[in-house]
Amino acid sequence: MSDTLSYLLMAWSDPQLLMLTALGTFAGIYIGAIPGLSVTMAVSILVSFTFSWDVNDALALIVGIFIGGVYGGSRSAILLNIPGAPSSVATAFDGYPLAQQGEAGRAIGLSTVMSVVGGIVGTIMLASAAPLIGELALRFAPRDYFLVAAIGLLLVGSLAEGSLAKGIFAAGLGAVIGLVGMDPVTAQGRFTLGQVELMGGIHYVVLMIGLFGVAEAFYQLHNLDSPVIRQKVDKILPSFAMVLKFLPLSIRTSIIGVIVGVLPGVGGDIAALMAYDHAKRTVKNPSRPFGKGAYEGLVAPETANSAAVGGAYVPMLTLGMPGDAVTAVIIGALVVHGLNPGPMLMVENPHIFYFTVGNLLLANVFLMIFGLMGIKLFAKFVEMPKAVLIPLILVLCVVGTYSINSSMTEVYWMLGFGVLGYLLKIFGFQMGPIILGAILGPLMDTSYRQAMSSAGDNPMELLQGLVTSPLSLILSAAVVLILLGNTPLLKKLKSKLSPASARG
Amino acid sequence: MNKTDKMLVGERTFCVLLVLASLVVFYLAYQISGFSSINSPGAFPIGVALVMIFSAVKIGVELIGKAKPDCSGWLDAFQQFRDTHFPRRILVFGLLAVAYLAAIQWVSFYVSTFLFLVLSIVYLRKGRVLNAILIAAVLLVLIYLLFSLAFSVYLP
Repeated sequence: MSDTLSYLLMAWSDPQLLMLTALGTFAGIYIGAIPGLSVTMAVSILVSFTFSWDVNDALALIVGIFIGGVYGGSRSAILLNIPGAPSSVATAFDGYPLAQQGEAGRAIGLSTVMSVVGGIVGTIMLASAAPLIGELALRFAPRDYFLVAAIGLLLVGSLAEGSLAKGIFAAGLGAVIGLVGMDPVTAQGRFTLGQVELMGGIHYVVLMIGLFGVAEAFYQLHNLDSPVIRQKVDKILPSFAMVLKFLPLSIRTSIIGVIVGVLPGVGGDIAALMAYDHAKRTVKNPSRPFGKGAYEGLVAPETANSAAVGGAYVPMLTLGMPGDAVTAVIIGALVVHGLNPGPMLMVENPHIFYFTVGNLLLANVFLMIFGLMGIKLFAKFVEMPKAVLIPLILVLCVVGTYSINSSMTEVYWMLGFGVLGYLLKIFGFQMGPIILGAILGPLMDTSYRQAMSSAGDNPMELLQGLVTSPLSLILSAAVVLILLGNTPLLKKLKSKLSPASARG
Repeated sequence: MNKTDKMLVGERTFCVLLVLASLVVFYLAYQISGFSSINSPGAFPIGVALVMIFSAVKIGVELIGKAKPDCSGWLDAFQQFRDTHFPRRILVFGLLAVAYLAAIQWVSFYVSTFLFLVLSIVYLRKGRVLNAILIAAVLLVLIYLLFSLAFSVYLP
């Protein structure tokens, strides 16, 4: 017990670890906030620096960057309408309208507090339920992964304003882009058009920077002459009553965040979208309509994506499977330091687990401090004239894309995706489903083929598995319900039932 | 008539292009391994292509109830589309962006970035050359400090 406590408090009591966690969190916020710089990218670069460090020092810095970076993405989502990371896509839905209405400061303040709430809930659940949740995730069959990814895509499709068909088309387009390259099983080229350069695939960050950076920059050119909205950032600290009001929702969405974060390969991006959808469906009287600056629409994704960080650590520490892209990089770092992430980690090196839990809590404390500071400075950045900001965004997009693989070809791809995104934006397509499609498409392909192989290439046996396994049945029912919920069938059913119930 | 019930200029053409693009995706997906097996490398891509075709057609069907845009003939529609979505400002900025990417390989990242920032700021602000040079220089120093020194990112 005393050992456990000393492991938990290690990062709090050692000045060097304390400083590294603080530095990581501070840097993470700004890395996450700068469009084009991703947390995954920053952590990947950092890992190479920290190979020669002590493992605790390396983990302290990485945890800080991770926590700060996931939160930092919300700042650019709120102030620029450019999510700094996929996990901040849903934050922009209501965060940016809030900034447009002069409530950027309060939105950032609330998102900071709620991110900390989500982070703490996520960490507590990691500490208390890791073995249990790990066991549940272990029971997932490939068909379940397929269903979870399908739920993610359908949810993001249903979030597309106006038309589900547009959302599904966008997700399909994203999936095709995600599938470009060598088939991981047979090494056969798919959608490569005979080009060797495309055999390695298209990195989804290239697509993300193109769609969210370049397309947005082109779109913003239409509003060049409109006066710059002075972001009102004087009321940063949200009132206690405001926090208390959103606390029940934040706890619910934190739980969604942790559960989604636990699922390997599915991270804060889907957690945030699912939480947003949950808020949209359950909050009857939002502060403003969703999509037009509802605080509930800001609270839900921000708590969920922060809670998903704790969730993402669960399969990593207990199963050796990455919860998301960042934890995939962290697994690499642990292996380099001679540790073996997986079920044996808890037995052989229990201090890593408890140290991580304590460190995550500490990073959340620093997040609260740094998150509520320096907002005015960042907001000044947004007050920069668009004629200066737009060319700068393009330069940042070029730098961000090039730093992934040092490839100019990818920079050209990024620009091409930007033009495509601009065209799609004109005709009312959302960018979120394309990104999610690109991330989840390959995951669905792999799990579909694994599921089919385990069913002996017999579709009937696969379908049987969907209804006989309780877990698959629940997930299948969720897919059907989401599909039905977006068709006129449900509306007709509701309208038929309501007069009947009124009469009854 | 509600504004949202009106078709955008070029929306019908774009919809046709979506259907055609989906058919091309289907053809490319079929070329991977045909209908050889339900578990082949091309099976899932074919499924995705079918979903794309279906949703593109659905997007087209959704247009049926909408009112047509106010334009006479293809040429007028094209001009309206160009003026609304691709005004000169966007075309010039797009050309500057392409020239910038091409120039990176010829004259180094820093020189091309400086020139791109100066030219685009001057064009978008309609003048103030000295101001633009100063802003571009400050931004370039910040980019150097942040990316080269702080993050050690490989720059083009």
